[in-house]
Amino acid sequence: MAMTTGGGGGGMGGTCYVYPGAPATIGLVTADISFQRGIYMNGSMLMDDGVSVPIWGFTDLTAANGGIGGGNMGAGGGSFPSPAIRVTEGQIVHTALTVNQMLIHTIHHHGIEPSTENDGVGHFSFDVSGGTYTYQWKASSAGTYFYHCHVNTPLHAEMGMYGGLIIDPKPLSTDPAGTKRAFKNGPIYDVEAIWACDEIDPALHTLSLGAGTCGGDVGLNNFHPKYFIITGVDGASSALTNPSVAVNMTLGQTALVRYICAGFFPQKISFGGLTASVVASDGRPLPAAWNTTSIEASSAERYDCIIKPTAKGTYTVTVQFLHWITGSVLGTARTRINVT
Amino acid sequence: MDRRSFLKVGGAGLASTLMGSGMLSWAPRSEAATISKTYYINDGIRAMPDGVSVYFKSYGDTATALSLPASSIICQEGDTLSITVINRLLKTHNFVIGGLKAGDPPLASTGNIASGATGKITLTIPTGAAGSYMFYDNVTSYNRFLGLHGGLAIMPAGSSTTLYTGSPAFKPNRQLFWIFNDIDPALHNAVQLNGTIPTSFTPRYFTINGLSSRPPGATSHGDPTIDALFDPRSRLAGSVGDRTLLRILNAGMCSHSVHTHANHMEWLTNNGVVRSSVWKKDSLYLRNSLGKIDSIYPFMSPPDAYPLVNTGHFPMHLHDEMSQTAGGGLYQFGSMTEIEFI
Repeated sequence: MAMTTGGGGGGMGGTCYVYPGAPATIGLVTADISFQRGIYMNGSMLMDDGVSVPIWGFTDLTAANGGIGGGNMGAGGGSFPSPAIRVTEGQIVHTALTVNQMLIHTIHHHGIEPSTENDGVGHFSFDVSGGTYTYQWKASSAGTYFYHCHVNTPLHAEMGMYGGLIIDPKPLSTDPAGTKRAFKNGPIYDVEAIWACDEIDPALHTLSLGAGTCGGDVGLNNFHPKYFIITGVDGASSALTNPSVAVNMTLGQTALVRYICAGFFPQKISFGGLTASVVASDGRPLPAAWNTTSIEASSAERYDCIIKPTAKGTYTVTVQFLHWITGSVLGTARTRINVT
Repeated sequence: MDRRSFLKVGGAGLASTLMGSGMLSWAPRSEAATISKTYYINDGIRAMPDGVSVYFKSYGDTATALSLPASSIICQEGDTLSITVINRLLKTHNFVIGGLKAGDPPLASTGNIASGATGKITLTIPTGAAGSYMFYDNVTSYNRFLGLHGGLAIMPAGSSTTLYTGSPAFKPNRQLFWIFNDIDPALHNAVQLNGTIPTSFTPRYFTINGLSSRPPGATSHGDPTIDALFDPRSRLAGSVGDRTLLRILNAGMCSHSVHTHANHMEWLTNNGVVRSSVWKKDSLYLRNSLGKIDSIYPFMSPPDAYPLVNTGHFPMHLHDEMSQTAGGGLYQFGSMTEIEFI
């Protein structure tokens, strides 16, 4: 296919069908909370087998890199997953994304439903390049979301350009200070885990930003993951004990596991024999809690799971990654819920 | 009038029951009708987004039309379906209306139709059969995703706003089929050339209602016969309050995650089974090989917009992002359509 020139389909540095811009935000108001995000494309993640895999992501331009757990700080890069966005229901939020003119990225707040210009999908609005765009949106519904780049997504999301996005409910005046709820009038929890489960095909992690967008076969249809991770930690063994992933709780406590299917293939998460009370999905409370010992999920689904063990012990949580055609298990990531 | 005293529907009357384009329009009747349709099993070539020509088979509307997918049918409980299928190809084929739920026996079948022969289905739709169905060829395991498939919508008798009796309501004349397919040209070529059928599949093209999307700047962007963003069979356009039923079928070999922007969907059924409660979801797990979902897109003002907006353009795309490509690259040339708030 011939690369078009000019207009929305103009090529840019070997990238086609992108729509660079950094316009002013329509109807910009003072935000209740703001986040500043930059880009890194020189990170890496060290796998349990000693292999280092290139990683891209978003940086927090206002602070030292702080992710949602994970703990993989790529040399020269940022945290993986990218720093979380955490807000309170009802807040007006600004997510300011700064991208230099040599690069092109967006932030799509997955599950957040703002105006077209603030949705972060380039061919419906613009891709951010050569400046800063401030995404403005209102946090209307408490729950679990995530954000990711929506440019050449089969590559950019695969490279790691995502982070958690949590909307907490407003505190109830009748609750003691510090009470944590999953959503307004929702269940109270003591311990929280954010498990963004993802699979990595290292063959794709050698590609350039615009790979395939001008045509040509770069294998973006043909996904062969080799690593299976939980919140930036290799699920082969590290996630079993990594303190940012494994849950440590005492008997009588309640955990809220925010499970995010952050990969492309379907997954099956099993809670090591524990029963989860699923109270919300995709940022919306369920009409009635669903009790289950496992969940099968597809890409980008989220499930908020209340877990209240009734016995001390070590429960090994498994996340199986399933081939989208055969359903065969391609790999398993594991972590633990330790109840003392 | 006795419900069994069927009203014959033919000629211009079929315009409201057999849909080749746009949303399914539907005027409920107090009497049952006979719904007649003739399909022609034929074949042809279609260009993929990267220019590669791929061979397909279809249930065509005419003796020579390549209809991907087949024109859908909408009817109501109590109606009689009278379907004629003429096989114009050299191989034996059939036409099976799959069961409502996974594991259900087929609703009807022509049986095998030899080359040059004609198959027929005459079926009175029983009460309680309302729902979304796929019809397809199952003479081989792969004829379905070669293109021989389509959608059948059975409405509850007398209703224009419900999927099943008592379901959450959508607005009259606001329902769409979204039929997904995955294309491995190696398979299609093997069938065309009478070669050895591959034992594994690597899809390279991904379609919704037979088309892939074309982003702005691409040749054919905006052409409703080529660009899935603008295909009226797929494009989800409406104003606030235009609650629309999405009948989502998977003819292909891959499972998918159906992701809508701007609104969560109300998830009514999974593989034909009515869910015990309606969840609001932005991403839905569509199982491969005959997976089905029914949901309602509520067309609420995008809830997180600030300031409030009631217009805009957004994508519906599959979130298993491999499906958003063509030929191993060309992101944005895959299985996606547009949601337009007018």
